[in-house]
Amino acid sequence: MPVNNDFSKPQRESAFGIIVMGAHTMLKIGKASFFLFIIAFVKMSSTSFTYLILSISAIIVFSFIFAYLWYLKFTFFLDKEKQEFVVNKGIFNRDQVIIQLDKIQQVNINQNILQKIIGVYGLKIDTAGAHGEEVSIKAIDETSAYNLKEHLLNSRTATEVQSEIEQENDGTAETPFLRISAWTLFKVGLTSNYGQSLALLAAFFYTVIYEGRQLLDAFKINKDEIQSTVTGMLTIVTVFILIACLLIVLLIINLVRTFYKYFELEISEHKNTLLLSSGLIAKKNTLISPNKVQITKYSQNYFQKKMNMLNMSLKQAHFGQSKKGHEIQGNTLEIPGCNPTERDELLKMILGEAPLKGKTFIPDWRFLNLPIFFKLILPVATFLIIAFNVPEVKPYIGVSIAYLIIGILMIYISYRRHQISVSQDFIIKTSGIWDISNEIVKPNKIQAITTFQYPWHKGVDVGHLTLHTAAGQIHFKYGNYTEIKQLVNYWLYQVERKNENWM
Amino acid sequence: MTPETFFTNEVIDLDLLPKYEDIQLSRPHPDYWKIICINLLIFFGLLGIAIGILLFFVDEVRPNAKWIIPLYLALLAIFFLLFRASFKKRGYAIRIHDVIYKSGIIAESTTIVPLNRIQHIELNEGIFSRIYKLGSLQLFTAGGQTGHIHISGIAIDDAKRIRDLLLKKLDLLENPTTELNASE
Repeated sequence: MPVNNDFSKPQRESAFGIIVMGAHTMLKIGKASFFLFIIAFVKMSSTSFTYLILSISAIIVFSFIFAYLWYLKFTFFLDKEKQEFVVNKGIFNRDQVIIQLDKIQQVNINQNILQKIIGVYGLKIDTAGAHGEEVSIKAIDETSAYNLKEHLLNSRTATEVQSEIEQENDGTAETPFLRISAWTLFKVGLTSNYGQSLALLAAFFYTVIYEGRQLLDAFKINKDEIQSTVTGMLTIVTVFILIACLLIVLLIINLVRTFYKYFELEISEHKNTLLLSSGLIAKKNTLISPNKVQITKYSQNYFQKKMNMLNMSLKQAHFGQSKKGHEIQGNTLEIPGCNPTERDELLKMILGEAPLKGKTFIPDWRFLNLPIFFKLILPVATFLIIAFNVPEVKPYIGVSIAYLIIGILMIYISYRRHQISVSQDFIIKTSGIWDISNEIVKPNKIQAITTFQYPWHKGVDVGHLTLHTAAGQIHFKYGNYTEIKQLVNYWLYQVERKNENWM
Repeated sequence: MTPETFFTNEVIDLDLLPKYEDIQLSRPHPDYWKIICINLLIFFGLLGIAIGILLFFVDEVRPNAKWIIPLYLALLAIFFLLFRASFKKRGYAIRIHDVIYKSGIIAESTTIVPLNRIQHIELNEGIFSRIYKLGSLQLFTAGGQTGHIHISGIAIDDAKRIRDLLLKKLDLLENPTTELNASE
């Protein structure tokens, strides 16, 4: 490896970064004003067409000037003495981001299409800083990228280890111990993540309908006409066809998403870290150290059980509210479609040993009360009251009964599944209705513990428990309060006895 | 080795372990209730002025006065009662290895933060707190918004003492041990 590449002096990213950054800015502006443009395009007379062209070119020019300035002001270097990674940026205001190396959660190296064409890589640093600020370098060549990654992640281990790692890195042919085949991915796509795809679909339809309305306004099309044709088309048969189509679309979206994200997923073991790489168009490499994983989770539904596979996710620390939703998602690494042996191997790698289920605690039957009341009895009662007063709703009473039965069944299942199992080294929480998930936490990852109890549960000795970790909370509800208090004392003892690192 | 025996090994320990639930908690300073009252009065004072202006100047609102005013008074009473209840329930304790904080209006919740998990400590003094020489301590962990403790209404001298004590312990905890653990 080149000696000058130890990042000790401030340096800029690759000059190609101007292009990447410019395109990025352009895309951002374009995305934000996409529908604006369409509306403008439709509404505008031909004379002002030139204005449109002008404004588009203005955006392009602006983006690239912005990108150029950004490039000039963006420098980074590694402060070996203080063990810090320092980034200077900001066009008008001077921002300095200082990241302590031991606070770095993960380093991602990815390549989008543009970066692939130009031949550069993007590098992202996820930190555990209190404000969750993260650094992203838009353009860096491959060797520097991997070099920097090693520097960032292996800073604390002595330098002699570094050369070894680099040698290892040169021999890129590492044998991954886990590889997800296309066929497995296909099965995964068919059986999991319906919720996320559904949300995606809903979001898509929402934008289409919302923007469509604006477009209709722009086109001055009569809305009532469309509405009447739509309602005219709605017969029982078409509704069923529509639902079937939607389901198929959902499955296809699910499959595409799964393939896009997890194509050729491979996990291999570096020195002390796990290297995950996956992706269809943009290949994403993630390097994480096992001891930074806070919650290890695996889940399985009925179909997956039959196919002998399960999904795993590794949750790392995220901090505060400043991170937006998708960034928190980014801190969770998903490994779909591994089989039980692969799971055990991964668990062993992350947790040090295969977790053992210890003493199991189950909730009190009062667990059922609140959900049954608020989710079933209350809505069904209101519905029945309405139904008996409004004759049009009456034929649907059967639906409410079905809802009641399914609801009771689901709540009962969730009650039966809700358990926490405690052994000396692990806390395993099981929960779920369809997807049964197991969340595994080591006691030393606990940040704080909350117990609480309603006054009317004092007599029956029922209470709740929340374990706060850096990657989210673990709840155990309606347990025996005496046992919970005992467990809390035990965990406190475990956490406080020795000063074990949680990260 | 069955899981059962695996765990019962530790059970002997369990009963001998110090019990967090038996700790005598310190109550917030009595003057803190006055601060809560002042804050509530300011809030309701502003709300009352807003309602008064509406009732006085907007003719459409005036007929509704007969339920707006009782609602306002009821809210006032409920808020005072709730805050009184929550004030009575609050308590905190500092042990050698952790901090315990109890709070709650209806449900009673107890949060325990081990000292070796504290990320940073904040000591806040509000305007009114300063008049009564009170302060509030915040202990942040990496557990995010929910995993942190906010103890209000401690006499400022006590608060400062606690802060210094905790900081000293944090220093002690961090320096000799982090390097050891890192190499594990």
